[in-house]
This record gives sequence, C-alpha cells and structure tokens, in this order.
Amino acid sequence: MRILLAEDDPLIGEGLRAGLRQLGFHVDWVRDGGAAERELRAHPYAAAVLDLGLPLKDGMEVLIEIRRAGNAVPVLVLTARDAVPDRIRGLDIGADDYVVKPVDLHELAARLRALIRRAHGQPQERLRINDVVLDPAARSVELEGDSVALSAREFDLLHVLMLNTDQVLSREQLEQHLYSWGQEVESNAIEVHIHNLRRKLGSALIRTVRGVGYILPRAPKK
Amino acid sequence: MNQRQLYSLQGRLITLILAVVASVWLVTAAMTWFDARHELDELLDSHLAQAAALLVVQQAHEIDGDGEGVDAPSLHRYAPKVTFQVFHEGRLALRSANAPAVPLVERDKGFKTGFATVQIGGVTWRVFATHGGERDVQVYVGEQASSRASILWAVLRSTMWPIGLALPLLAIAVWWAVYQGVAPMRRLGRALAERPAQALHPVKLEGIASEMVPMVNALNGLFERIGTLLESERRFTADAAHELRTPIAAIRVQAQVALGEADDALRRGALQRTLDACDRATRLVEQLLTLARLEANATPTMAEIDLRALVQQVVAELAPKAIGKNQSLEFEATESCNLPGSEALLAVLARNLVDNALRYSPQFARVRVGVQQHSGRVVLIVEDSGPGLAEADARRLGERFFRVPGSSESGSGLGWSIVRRIAAVHQLEIEVDRSAELGGLAVRVSGRCGHQAV
Repeated sequence: MRILLAEDDPLIGEGLRAGLRQLGFHVDWVRDGGAAERELRAHPYAAAVLDLGLPLKDGMEVLIEIRRAGNAVPVLVLTARDAVPDRIRGLDIGADDYVVKPVDLHELAARLRALIRRAHGQPQERLRINDVVLDPAARSVELEGDSVALSAREFDLLHVLMLNTDQVLSREQLEQHLYSWGQEVESNAIEVHIHNLRRKLGSALIRTVRGVGYILPRAPKK
Repeated sequence: MNQRQLYSLQGRLITLILAVVASVWLVTAAMTWFDARHELDELLDSHLAQAAALLVVQQAHEIDGDGEGVDAPSLHRYAPKVTFQVFHEGRLALRSANAPAVPLVERDKGFKTGFATVQIGGVTWRVFATHGGERDVQVYVGEQASSRASILWAVLRSTMWPIGLALPLLAIAVWWAVYQGVAPMRRLGRALAERPAQALHPVKLEGIASEMVPMVNALNGLFERIGTLLESERRFTADAAHELRTPIAAIRVQAQVALGEADDALRRGALQRTLDACDRATRLVEQLLTLARLEANATPTMAEIDLRALVQQVVAELAPKAIGKNQSLEFEATESCNLPGSEALLAVLARNLVDNALRYSPQFARVRVGVQQHSGRVVLIVEDSGPGLAEADARRLGERFFRVPGSSESGSGLGWSIVRRIAAVHQLEIEVDRSAELGGLAVRVSGRCGHQAV
C-alpha cells in the first residue's frame, strides 16, 4: 500500500518512513504542507499520515483543501496537539483518524490498514474472494486454507485488486499503487506479477480486460 | 488564627462612642454643678447682705431705745430656714424666732463683717455679719446651707435627667448606626467567604466604603498577579507537555524501527537516530528548566561582567560544533565596558544566539560574533551568512516553541524565549536585522555600560 507521510520533523519522519516500510507500506515522505497537498492531488495514495504543524501550509489547511477538491483519501492526523477541541476540529474537517504523538508504530500501521479497509467498504481485516484469503496485518495469503508464498510485490498487487474488486485497474494505476517515488518500474513488471499470481492462485482469479487493465471479479464464477 | 485575640469592630465602636458620650455627660453635669453653685451663692449671698443692710438701717431708725430682745414672729413655714440677730451695744435687740441668743458667729477673735459658714446644733448655716455706721449695731443674717444644696440638686436634676434617660436610647441608636455603618464590611466579608477557592476574578468595587477601596484594590491586585502567574504556569505546562511529545515520538519510532530492522547497518542507523532524539529531548528539557527558572522571577545575582571575556568563552565552547559543520566561526572584540548582570544568564544568552546562528546556517557558512562599545553601551553582535528570516517569522521570534517553518534543524523553539527573558531581566535591547555584510541574520543585543573595565 502506498501512503503519503507529511511530517516536518526529520527524526520522526525518517523513523516513520523506515518503520512503515518494515510493516509493508510504501511510503512517500514530504516535509511541508504545500508538497503534501500537491502529492495528494497528483497520486492515488491508499492513505495519508498528516502532521498538523507543517511549514508553508498547516496540516488542517491541507486537509480542508483536498476535501474541498473532492479527494476522499483516508487521512490519519498524527500530531502533538492533544486538546479535545483540536481533535474535534480535525475529525470534523475531514480527518478519518486522529492520533496524538507519540504513537506505537504497530498501532499506527493497524490504524492505517483499518482506514484503507474501511475506505474500500471492507468490514473485516481479512479479505476473502472465493477461496483466496488475504491477511493484510500478517501479510499472508491462503488458498483453500493452505498458505501461499508470495513476494512483497505480488502480495501488494493482490491486496490492491482485492480492495478494488469489480473495478478495472489500469497498469498505470496499479504501478502508482505499488511503487513509491524514485522506484524504477520495469515496463512489464505488472504483467510479470499478474502472471505469477495466476500461477500461484489459479488462472481464473484475475481477468484481463484487453486494452484497459485488470479486474478481480467478486461474483463466484462457475 | 487565634480566635480569642479577635475583637469585633462593631463592639469596639459602640463601646468607644458610649464611653465618649458618658464622659461628655459627666463633664456637663460637673460643670453645671459648679456653675449653678457659683451663681446661686452669688445670688443668695447678695440677698443675705441686702437683708442685713435693711436690718442695720431699721435698727438705726426705729429701735433706738434700750429695748429688751424682741423675737420677730415666724410668718411662714419656710421661715425657719432663715434667721437673723440684731445686737445693739453688745445686747441682743432683735432676733428671729429660731435664732439663738448668742451671736451666730463666735466673736472670740473680735467682730468681723462678711460671710461665714458655721455649724449650729448640727445644722450648717451661711451667715452674713455686718454693723451699723457707729459700730454699736451688729446684725447677723443666716440661712440654712442645706436649702442651697437642695436648689442646686433641683437644678442639676432637671438638666440631667433627660440626658440620663436618653443614654440607653442613645446606646441603642448608636448600636444601630454602627451596625449600619459597618454593613459594607460585613458584605465584603460575606462576598469573600462565598467566593470559590479558585476564583481569581476581581472583587467588585461598587457598594463599598471609600476607606475599604485601598484594601479591596490591594486584594484585586493580588488576585490579578496570582491569575497571571497561574495562567503563565498553565500555558508553560501545556506548551512543555506538547513540545516534549515530539522528541519522545521520535525516540519511540526510531527505537521501534531499530527493533524491527533485520539489516545490521540499518539497525545501527536507527539506534544512532534514537540517541539523537534522546539528545534533543535532553536539550529541550534543559531549555525548559532554564526558562522555568527565569520565569520564576528569581532575581539573579548581579555583578560587573566582562562581556568580551564571557562571549569569547562561549565562542570557544561552540567552536567544535562549527568545525563539525565546516562553518567558520569568528570572534572579534573592540574595547568593551563591563555590563552589570548575571554571568550564568548572560552566558546562556550568548550561547543561545551563537548556537542558533550555527544551527540554522548551512555548511560552509560564516558566523561572526562581535563585542563593541558605542556611546556608553556595550553591544553583542551575532551575524551569519545563513538564510536569514522572513519578516513575519522575525516578528514571531521569541514566541514560545515557535520554530521557523521549514527548518530541518531540530530546535526546541525555546532559545529565543530564553534570550528575550534574559534580556528583559538585564534591561537589554534586542534588534533583529539582516546582516549587511554576511547576508544572513544579524542579532544585536545592547545594554548600558556599568563601571569601566579595570
């Protein structure tokens, strides 16, 4: 899952980026409010972690702007401002979660997973399509009860498709979900990962819509 | 408080007023007594003298012969209160019915005209003695002294009894008046007693006596000072708690990253950053403590400080940091005078300024520190070739925990608060400007010279 981290403090930003990466997120880190807004408008992030005391543009302003622009990305506000009125205001102007520093890295990751899941209308942490069960927290996939070994990219790709069932996702969209900035993407990387997923989980799971992209249909097929 | 040592203002007032009224009453009575007695004596003595004169004249004209002693008839029941005797050539010629046969005033030392007070048969008489022109006629006229006393008492009674009667009424009236008079005090007492313990709003001045205004003003002043103190304390605690979160969050995140990192080099990096975050927290706590001590308003011990030596020392301490960042740190001082102040605090001020200049200037920047003397003022100048400050940011310098946006350095945001506070304690002036020579920030701190450097 690709998320945006907006944090001006170098030590915290560095730590969060490294820590969330360890927990399976792809993290883009920006240090000011202007960049945060720009990135959120430009890329389809699964979620954003937003500090409020950002230079150039306050986190609250960023939130107001992107919500006004109709951007529904799940936003977790991570701040040292703990006053109840601040929390209320943050949630009211469009934050999906409000967490006061310091925060446990694992808790932050769990909250992000929950935000992403809810944003896709999934009531449960574990995603299930037919016989395939994906556990985002454990980063494990089972097919008919048996564990399937997937690479990190394959897992992320399957995760994105399972969160967006019944939607056609283009190769570019998938790339944006899977790769953070500066990561070199080979032109046929997505095709390779799809091929591997079909090999490991059955060829009927993911369908190709020729000329458009890929779709993971929810309806059980005969 | 010792309850027994308390007294009632009202009781005290009533007692004092009644004591004064009673004293005035007693003095009035005494004066009436003496005055009335004096006037009465004058009047009645003149009557005695008049009566004696009549008798002398009468004796000279009518009782010319050697008549036997004649007793004048008693004509009225009051007559026994007065008496008279007329002697002609040593013999009793005429007397009132109640007069003795011997002269009213003993003549053992010879006859004397004038007034005398004598005791006859247990009764006190006021007697006037006189004689005729040829000294053969001697007349005594007497009057019972008790009748004078009774007149005096009658006068005194009639003037004193209305006041005597009025005294209890007066006591009640005084009690009521005093009770009403101290009502504002009771109201204030009640109002104060009813205030919640934490209430710090001022006591209202309306409806209180002018004598109480200084008291209430002093009280309100106290409330205000306590309120300001509490408010600053509260803000400080809130700010401090808020600011401590950031380094603690950094420590926690970096520690968790280190825990979760499999790669050895990466783990070491995360651990190193954990230590950096700890250093930052330490620095923040130190700054907070410095500020707290400054805000506690403890008056620092003032001495004559050689600013040049002090700043030189600070620059020497910070030189390694500059070298670590490949910055050039210079110190130059012209002749300088002493500055009255606290050595420790002035060192903190200088260290903060120089440290800020190094911290917020990039690598290879120049930082120049100078101490100069201009027209009776000693000036500390810290200039750098860093990015300087936007005007809006310059204005916000010194706000607690304000950090210039976008600065990647992890400052506490307290340095300027501390600098400003120390400057205020020492009555120093601070100017923030753009350095003409180096292009970055120029901070000028100036203060009036103390005694000339020896």
